[in-house]
Amino acid sequence: MTARSGLLLVLCLVPSSARLAGQERQGFDHQKHAKVFASCTACHVGAVTAGASMWPDPVSCAACHDGTIQKRVTWQPRSREGTRTNLRFDHSKHATALRDKVVGCTTCHAGQGAPWMTAEAPRAERCLDCHGVRVAHLAAPDTACATCHLPLVRAQRLTIEDVASFPKPPSHEQPDYAAVQGHGRASQATGANCAMCHARDFCLQCHVDAPERPSIQTLAPDSRSLAIRATLRPPASHDDPAFLLGHGGSAKAAPERCSACHTRESCLSCHSATTRVAARLPAAGPGRSTGAVVSRRRPPSHGANYAERHAAAAATAAATCAGCHARSDCLECHRPDAARAAGYHPRGFLARHPAAAYSRQTNCSDCHNTAGFCTTCHASAGLVSRGGQLRSGYHDFTIFFSAGHGQAARQSLETCVGCHVEKDCLTCHSALGGRHINPHGPGFDPSREIKKNPQMCTACHGTAIPTQ
Amino acid sequence: MSAARVGALWVLLVATGVARCLSQDYRLRVDTRVQAVAYRGVSFDSIPVGDTVAGPGGGLFTPDGYAVACNPNGFCTFYRAGGIVHAAPVTTTADLTVWGLGVPGLSVRAIGRATGDLSSGDNWAGTTSHLQLLEGYAQYAADWWTAQLGRQTVETRFGLSGFDGARVTLRDWHRGLEASGYAGWGLWQGSALPVTSPALNPLDEFRPPERTILAGAGGAWTTSRLDLRVIYQREVDPSTDYFVSERAGVDAVVRPYRGVILTGGADYDIAQGWWGSAEARLAYTVPTGRLSTSAGVRGYRPHFDLWTIWGAFSPVPYTAIDGTLDFRPVPKLQVRTQGEHYSYANSETATPLVSVESSGWRFSWGATYTLTKAWAVDGGYHAEFGPGASSRGFEGGVTYAARNLSITAHGATLDRPLEFRFDEASLNLFGLTADYRPMSRLRVQLDATRYAEDRKRPDAGAFSWDQLRVSSRVVLFFGGGSADGGGLPPAVRAMPERGSP
Repeated sequence: MTARSGLLLVLCLVPSSARLAGQERQGFDHQKHAKVFASCTACHVGAVTAGASMWPDPVSCAACHDGTIQKRVTWQPRSREGTRTNLRFDHSKHATALRDKVVGCTTCHAGQGAPWMTAEAPRAERCLDCHGVRVAHLAAPDTACATCHLPLVRAQRLTIEDVASFPKPPSHEQPDYAAVQGHGRASQATGANCAMCHARDFCLQCHVDAPERPSIQTLAPDSRSLAIRATLRPPASHDDPAFLLGHGGSAKAAPERCSACHTRESCLSCHSATTRVAARLPAAGPGRSTGAVVSRRRPPSHGANYAERHAAAAATAAATCAGCHARSDCLECHRPDAARAAGYHPRGFLARHPAAAYSRQTNCSDCHNTAGFCTTCHASAGLVSRGGQLRSGYHDFTIFFSAGHGQAARQSLETCVGCHVEKDCLTCHSALGGRHINPHGPGFDPSREIKKNPQMCTACHGTAIPTQ
Repeated sequence: MSAARVGALWVLLVATGVARCLSQDYRLRVDTRVQAVAYRGVSFDSIPVGDTVAGPGGGLFTPDGYAVACNPNGFCTFYRAGGIVHAAPVTTTADLTVWGLGVPGLSVRAIGRATGDLSSGDNWAGTTSHLQLLEGYAQYAADWWTAQLGRQTVETRFGLSGFDGARVTLRDWHRGLEASGYAGWGLWQGSALPVTSPALNPLDEFRPPERTILAGAGGAWTTSRLDLRVIYQREVDPSTDYFVSERAGVDAVVRPYRGVILTGGADYDIAQGWWGSAEARLAYTVPTGRLSTSAGVRGYRPHFDLWTIWGAFSPVPYTAIDGTLDFRPVPKLQVRTQGEHYSYANSETATPLVSVESSGWRFSWGATYTLTKAWAVDGGYHAEFGPGASSRGFEGGVTYAARNLSITAHGATLDRPLEFRFDEASLNLFGLTADYRPMSRLRVQLDATRYAEDRKRPDAGAFSWDQLRVSSRVVLFFGGGSADGGGLPPAVRAMPERGSP
């Protein structure tokens, strides 16, 4: 066989073999016809002649398969337009370019030493050999892809199933390939050719920052690219149990790293305010992925009874609280609604509030106005003294309670004030009348109080306020 | 009550109208609650000594069975069962935020409340005045400073102090520094009303004739390891130019290691010349959140405004130590426990006739077991003993939570002896709570709870206190944003409301 005829054989067999998985094979058995044909181009004229059919005329088959010499066959050539391929291979151009080279059809379509009329599907390695690429097909650099392949969006005959069966390059199997240092860096490398297998829709499965990424925007949209499924997985950094606590710092430092997977809504899932960081992330909308879906949860520091001990944190760094809490969250408890059934306190707290109130388990006046809330309620239940002569009967467990109430009063004066008015106490504790019982005890500094507000001194002392 | 209704409608219409006309967008949340309660109080009464009768133990009783305490003046006093008081408080709270007013950084915020009592009288605490503005201010926020003008609250270690005035905050983001100052006409403790409001003076006591002037200044320093804030606040009675209060305080949060938080703070009452409350707490949470524990010490001293006489009565502080533990031995089970012991400083009072407890403790534990994604069981026990009153009891509940519906059946039993009153009682409580979100802009809650009490008095004072309390709540969202978003961030929509299952 001459080199030319060999080349022709290569060229004519390439189209028939350059099919993708799942494509129906034709029924012609080349080996059976080995003694019939002396050259490939006798049948596959299109391999060397531009515009000619790659397939023989069925009439020529009938020269033998006429029902007498051989049984009739009903073979019909394939339409070239129906070939589902992303190859950009052109037999006639190769034939022209390789006219002076010792390259024939068998170079690609038959192994070395294979019998005549062996017609195998060419392997990509042979293409790579000729084109000087010395690595495995799928490990070839991106710059080499376009030599043989069309971008996905131009390979319009490929079906979704065809795209789904694309082999995955070994580079894509690397553990960190999904991370920015993997596919992100690769997509921005010089000569990156993601478009061979992917289109913009593929990227939109994960990337919420697609409109801001040139490497994604350079890809044309093509819904077939969704046949290759991408799953958004949290990066390794998110597995750190302390990530929740410390994510704010990294988000402030480099919000663009978050914006690959997170929209502004991710922040707002937990943070009630539109923070400066959130504002630097894209808002959800058309042309973007949904991105990572964040579910709100309490930070580890907010234990079961955090409501009782949040005061110091709230007073110290209110801006931190505002990251997740709206103003009305504070007022929900600190300015309680008169008609609310339960809230900060557990159900049934009304029945057990005396114990908590006596010792001020928490400071009642942080949320309640003791006059407007405690005294008003006690008044409606008949539990207040309205001044004047003190009356026995309520504190009935101890007979002489009034005579020995001093300790109870100094320990829990706020509770006493819930039912008693100043006039009750002034019945005895006044320098102007009553029993002149001195109420001043430990820590009382008359000179300081006179200086700050002598008005209260006059309640007991009138205008004759002692200086000591 | 008509005033409240008109007020609520007015707030809603005006807020919505103004928002639509002037702003780029707005958010409005309207929260309406109604509760129906009937309870029985006590009524003070007296009887001549001669009309009393001797009881089985020799004590004196009224002819209809009330134990009495007799005075030297020949009369005996006692508390008989009061009439049944009906109350039906209703409140509507509107929370409005308006932005996009043509000036970047400018927004308007208002939280108003219309409240009243649907029953024949304003029996329920907190239902007057009928219209209250909790917060209502315009805010301009720039990178390094923020200004607020209007009714607002400032959160400090002295509580949430409300005032009508201005507040300016300067900040240096890079160094974590912040300085703020505020001044205005004050609102009284824990309320949206000034001290001059009749609603805060149910017993017609002395009150300053004018609203107090509140002013304060503070500074803060925030780093990755430390949050520190110092605050100075004073309140002055403008009618006399005397101080109502003058305090300074410091708060700090230190994060020395991952999961370890040390919080502390103290305040000094400059006007009284003594240390007020102080606390320090060390907390540790494992990074997975499966274990959280803390230990703390605190001192509490009540604070009284200087226009009252109460500060001169030398209220004594108490010191408490406490610990908490919250852990998940298995993923579906959460166990929590906490305890505290406190003791009062020497009150320097001689009480030969009366012995009063000077220390106390409280303890509680509880557990929540998640049976399935939808079902959870919760139970707990608490006990506390201290001056004045004690209580102990169990509580528990079963919750079913589907996607937009949550139902909880709960019950509790409680014993509550009172130290100063012959009124031991045991209480059984059971009820049902439902929370339903038929759509993202609507939320409905219902609660019905039955209180059944057994008073252990040996006289007619052991009258029935049984009652049924029914409450309902409807929350509506209005405003911009996505159609299903209710105009609110998901964080706010998903935020568990306090009191909800």
